[in-house]
Amino acid sequence: MKPVANGSDLPVLLPIRLPALPASEFGDRLVAFFASRRAFVAIVVLAASSVAAAAAADAPMRPGIFETVLKWAPLIGTGFLFNLAISVASMMVGTLAGVLLGLGQISLLRPVRAISWVATQFFRNSPWLVLLFFAMFLLPFEIRIGGFVVSLPAWFKAIIGLALPVMANVAEIVRGGINSVPVGQWESAESLAFSRMQTLWRIILPQAVKRMIPPWMNLYAILTMATTLISVVGIQDAMTLTRGALVAEARTELYLPFYSLLLLYFFAYCYPIARLTQRLERRYAVKL
Amino acid sequence: MKRLLKLALSTAVVALGLAGTQATPAAAQDTIAQIKQKGTIVVGVKNDYKPWGFLDPSGKIVGLEIDLVDDVAKKLGVKAELVPVTAANRMEFLQQGRIDMIVATMGDTEARRKVVGMIEPNYYAGATNVLAPKSANLKNWSDLKGRKVCAVQGAYYNRRVSELYSPEMVVFPAVPDALNALQGGNCIAFLFDDTLIVSTLSGGDPKWANYEMPLVSEDPQLWAIGVRLADLNGPFGKLVKDMSVEWHKSGRLLELERKWGIKQSPYLIEMNKKLKGS
Repeated sequence: MKPVANGSDLPVLLPIRLPALPASEFGDRLVAFFASRRAFVAIVVLAASSVAAAAAADAPMRPGIFETVLKWAPLIGTGFLFNLAISVASMMVGTLAGVLLGLGQISLLRPVRAISWVATQFFRNSPWLVLLFFAMFLLPFEIRIGGFVVSLPAWFKAIIGLALPVMANVAEIVRGGINSVPVGQWESAESLAFSRMQTLWRIILPQAVKRMIPPWMNLYAILTMATTLISVVGIQDAMTLTRGALVAEARTELYLPFYSLLLLYFFAYCYPIARLTQRLERRYAVKL
Repeated sequence: MKRLLKLALSTAVVALGLAGTQATPAAAQDTIAQIKQKGTIVVGVKNDYKPWGFLDPSGKIVGLEIDLVDDVAKKLGVKAELVPVTAANRMEFLQQGRIDMIVATMGDTEARRKVVGMIEPNYYAGATNVLAPKSANLKNWSDLKGRKVCAVQGAYYNRRVSELYSPEMVVFPAVPDALNALQGGNCIAFLFDDTLIVSTLSGGDPKWANYEMPLVSEDPQLWAIGVRLADLNGPFGKLVKDMSVEWHKSGRLLELERKWGIKQSPYLIEMNKKLKGS
C-alpha cells in the first residue's frame, strides 16, 4: 500500500495487477515488430541480391537479368492476380460451406453431428493436391440443367477443389470458436429463456466470431500460397507463366531470379495478412 | 467409428462416381459448321516448348505451331483461340470438346491413334536424344544404365528409354526445371527431343558451352495434328489433311523452320520432294 500519485494522500488498495505487465507487453510487441520487420527486409534483400548476383555474372552482350525480369514482371503479375481471384473465390465458397459444417458439428441432432464430423475429418486430413485432382477429374466438363448446358471451366473446378479443404478447416475454426465461449454463457442464456437459435446468434456467435477471425485469416494466407497447386492440373496461373517465361528466355541463370519474383509477389501479399492476423490475435486474445 | 468412416468413404466414392458419369462427351458432327458459328477455332497448343509454342512477354503464345494454327484459322475465316495444354491433358480436352484440334508437339503413336485422330501427312518428325555435359563422356545409349537422367513428365520416350537402357529417371514437371537440375549436377543427362536440344545448344548461351548432344538420335517419331476421331474422316479432318499436304508441298514448313531457327529436318526436305514430285 502506498499513496497514489494523483495528489490524494489517502491509502488506496490498488487492483491486483502486475505493474510490469503493460510495459513488457509493449516491449514484446516492439521486439516482435522489429524482428518481423527485419525478417521482411532480409527476405527482400535476399531476393534482390539473387537477382543482382545473377546479373553480375551475365554476359554483356545479352539483356541484363534485371531488365529481363522487369520485362516479364507484368505478365507474371497478371497471373498472380488470377491466383488471388481463385483464392478469394475458394475462400468464399469454403467459408460458406465451412460455417454450415461447423454449426452442423454442434447440432443437437445426432445424425447431423455425425455426418458433419465425418465430412470435416475427411476433408481436413486429405492432401490438398489430391482433393484438387478429385475435383478436376470427377466433376463433369459440362452439366445439363433442363435444356441448358452449363460448362464447368477448369478454373471453376479448381475453386471447388481448393474450397473443400478450406471448408473443413473453417468448420473446425467455427466449432473451436464456439467452444471457446464459456459454458456459463449458454446456461445464463437458457435461464433467461433464450431459445437455442437466439442464444447462438445473439450471444455465442458475436463473442466467438472475433476469435475466429485470426485463424480464418491465417487459413486464407495459407490458401493463397497453395493456389500455385493449380499449375499442376494444367491451369495457367502465375507459376505456369513463370515457367513459360523461363522457357521463352531459355537461360538457366534466370531460374532463381524468376522464381524470386514470384515469391516476392506472394510474400508482398501474404506478409501484411500475417502481420494483421498477429495484431488481431493479440487484441482478441482470451484474457484470463 | 470404423464403420462410420467406411460408410462415409463409400458414400463419398458413390457420390463422386455419380458426378463422373454425368460427363457428356461433346458430339462432334459438323465441326466446321460449329467452328464457323462460334467464329473461333479453339486449339490446344504448347506454351512451354520453344520454338514450337512459347510465350512472349505480353502473354501471347507464339511459335511455329501457332503459325500453323493461324493458317488453319485463316482458311476457315475464323479467329484462333489458343488453349495451353500439357501432354497429360490435351487428349482429354479434345474428347471433352473443350478444344477442336491439338497442335502441341504430339507424337503420333499407335496407342494414341485409338483416342485421337492423327492428321496425315505428319507435319514434323522428331527423335530422342540427350543433352549432357562433355565431361560425362557418353558414347552409347547403354552408357546411361544406372545413371541419373533428367526428364520431363508425360514425354512419350521416357518409358521406352527407361525400359531399354534402365537409367535412374529423375522426372520434372517442366523443361526449365529439368534444365536447371542438369546445370546443377543433379543428373548427368537430360532426355528430350533432339529439336529442343539442338536449339538449346545453338542458342549461344555460354552456360551450355561445355554441353553436347553426344548420342545418335533414336526412335524417330512423327508429330501429328490431332482431331477428334469422329472428325478424322469427316470434312474437318479432310480440310486439315489437305492443308498439311499443302504445307509440305509449298515449302511452307521449311520456311517456318528457318523463321524459328530450327535445324533443317531431313523429314521435311524428303516430304517436300516427295509431294512436289507427285
